[in-house]
Amino acid sequence: MATSLDTTESVGMPVPAPSIPGRSRRRSRPGTQLVVGAVLIALVALVALVSLVWTPYDPVATVASDRLQFPSAAHWFGTDRFGRDVFSAVMVGSQITLIVGFIAVGIAVIVGVPLGILAGMRPGRLGDVIMRGNDILLAFPGLLLAIVFGAVFGAGTVTAMVALGIGSIPAFARVARSGTLQVMKTDYVFAARAANRSEFRIALRHVLPNISGMIVVQCSVNFGIAVLAEAGLSFLGLGTMPPTPSWGRMLQESQQFLGSHDYLAIAPGIAIAVAVLGFNLLGDGLRDRFDPKMRSSR
Amino acid sequence: MNAHTSRRALATTAAAAAAVLALSACSAGSSSGGSDAPSDAVVIGLTGEPVNLDFTTTSGAAIPQVVMNNVYEGLVTIDQEGELQPQLAESWAVSEDGTVYDFALHDGVTFSDGEDFTAADAVFSIERVQSDAWLNGTKSKMDVVESVEAVSDTELRVTLSRPSNAWLFDMGTYVGAMFSETGVDDLATKPIGTGPYTVESFVSGDRITLAGRDDYWGEEPDITDVTLRYFADAVASTNALRSGDVDMVYNMQAPDLMGQFESDEAFQVIEGTSNGEILLSMNNTVAPFDDVRVRQAVMYAIDRRAVIDAAWAGYGTEIGAMVAPTDPYYEDLTDLYPYDPEKARELLAEAGAENISITFDVPTRPYATAVSEIVVSQLAEVGIDASIQSSEFPAVWLDKVFTQADYQMSVILAVEARDVLATFNNPDYYIGYDNSKIADQVIAADSGTPEEYVSGMKEVVRTITEDAASDVLFLFPNLVVAKAELGGIAANAVTESLVLSGLTWTD
Repeated sequence: MATSLDTTESVGMPVPAPSIPGRSRRRSRPGTQLVVGAVLIALVALVALVSLVWTPYDPVATVASDRLQFPSAAHWFGTDRFGRDVFSAVMVGSQITLIVGFIAVGIAVIVGVPLGILAGMRPGRLGDVIMRGNDILLAFPGLLLAIVFGAVFGAGTVTAMVALGIGSIPAFARVARSGTLQVMKTDYVFAARAANRSEFRIALRHVLPNISGMIVVQCSVNFGIAVLAEAGLSFLGLGTMPPTPSWGRMLQESQQFLGSHDYLAIAPGIAIAVAVLGFNLLGDGLRDRFDPKMRSSR
Repeated sequence: MNAHTSRRALATTAAAAAAVLALSACSAGSSSGGSDAPSDAVVIGLTGEPVNLDFTTTSGAAIPQVVMNNVYEGLVTIDQEGELQPQLAESWAVSEDGTVYDFALHDGVTFSDGEDFTAADAVFSIERVQSDAWLNGTKSKMDVVESVEAVSDTELRVTLSRPSNAWLFDMGTYVGAMFSETGVDDLATKPIGTGPYTVESFVSGDRITLAGRDDYWGEEPDITDVTLRYFADAVASTNALRSGDVDMVYNMQAPDLMGQFESDEAFQVIEGTSNGEILLSMNNTVAPFDDVRVRQAVMYAIDRRAVIDAAWAGYGTEIGAMVAPTDPYYEDLTDLYPYDPEKARELLAEAGAENISITFDVPTRPYATAVSEIVVSQLAEVGIDASIQSSEFPAVWLDKVFTQADYQMSVILAVEARDVLATFNNPDYYIGYDNSKIADQVIAADSGTPEEYVSGMKEVVRTITEDAASDVLFLFPNLVVAKAELGGIAANAVTESLVLSGLTWTD
């Protein structure tokens, strides 16, 4: 296993030369992953912002006479079975995607990070209780949690966001805890403790700034997961309710037209791929820059 | 660490891409796998699974679809042309005043548990509908029966409290199913009837298998091994047909795929008649639909032709009221509410209901989700903001909307034959239509001559429609796609029942 990992690493990622000049050059220039990821996310964000003020057509207005038109100058991505413009729907769909990502990741950060820091600073019984609870939540598949929430509280965007957020808490708690454990062993924390600083102040002034890089990386990765999960839930009819455009539901609705009007699946499919790829590349790129372990290993 | 995350990035991205590719791959399908299946077996693809097999306590047309005429039989049945035909009754005579029916029953009929079918079983079955054992709302169809007696083992006399034009027809639907006195202990899983098939197994979420009976009293069917497979998704059922996993998709729910099958010689495509109305139900007992003007506004706001074209690929017929064109009292009422958004806005303004918001409970059925999006869009045009709430079908929808009537607007396919009275002539039904205007008229029509019945029912239906009790969007087509070699398909959905006994493989 170890060898195959090494192989992957050497093939997939050129290992930078361990020399000092190599290291400084790398740090002064953002990695390709970071740039590509940032560009893709910027594209999605830009489309979402533009769609707030302008779309070529009303994405929910049905025009029976314009049903199932192939891509053309008038309709760049064609029209769906209700005569709605697919390009407009893809544009507006990016809003839901980003909102779900932000709220889900936001919930996970707000709950998960303090729990992780607390567990890291109090490694005794309290830390154990928090982390075991965390493990239980981690053992529960996030998508399944979202489906259960949908069945209990009624399916919808809000339910999906909350469920995905709760499902992502363990990831953040773990990252925050492991970072905190490292920071707690540093000299400046010992110094702060010697100076009788309050625990809360240490967490805020020393721990949080030092683990923020790792948290940002985790945010980006989880954002990608949330985007995919929202699409999956909407595909199953448990996410965003129609007629609000959602990429996952567009895929679902395109099913019976795959043989005749494949563009209906391709447009939202590419949109999902771009968003997920973007967040994952961004996450990788950020990790290269932020992760203290990576830095020390180079 | 790095390799780990880039692998994860790759995996998630690949999953997204794979989802798209897998979906496109489905459409390509594979060639139909020939008919090397045994000639006495057939697999039928359906969407919409029954909750259980007991229609006496549980609603949902999926139950009688499986068991009526296949497992259970009635004294009479409705044939593919919608005509009444004898089944367990050889013949019958009606008294002068139309209240006494004398049935002569077939001799030598047995139930699948070996018991003989006699007039006593018929008495038991009819009285059971009137008892508390029957919970299904359709039991009201038997209210008109005053008494029933077994004159001998093969002679049955039914006395009605008044003449009824509808009763004998209703006996051909599932309220007329004949049960064995000793065979009603486990109706949900072990139905026992006189029909040509028995239920072999019921795998919830997957399939029901039926086996032909050796001791069936009538003509034994060619196909003795029937598997009904239930698909959650309409496209999956047609993919299964293409790949040869199923031989027929009945009541096909992906109309946009019809064209592909029509142009393929390996398949036959049938558009059968239907009793199924797509009903945009409005809860007459709660705001804003307790105001007739708001309901009428909805009727004017919806362009039904556009709904049919957009949601169901143009398959479907505008009918204007909850009466199928095959029914004797059908009248074209489509011009009662032409598409007129201006008029809709006026009515809403009059009712003081401008820019209202409502919740629209949409069952998770293909037709419902398809219809709901265009309905929402058209309602928005006139200032009704309908927000869709998806209701899992059947369990959640039946409980919340149908049983508790906890809803404002919903949409459902009502497939029961001649169901206009069951739907509207009952203020306790989930529609909650105030039937005081029609109740007496209904009884007068039912008790009158056949001519009075037709004219009286037309009046009743017109009143219901003028009151905009609910909006019948269109008559749902019964689309059937099957392998070309499959014959004897009962494609006309005259009752809820899918009659299997005629099926046969041809060369």
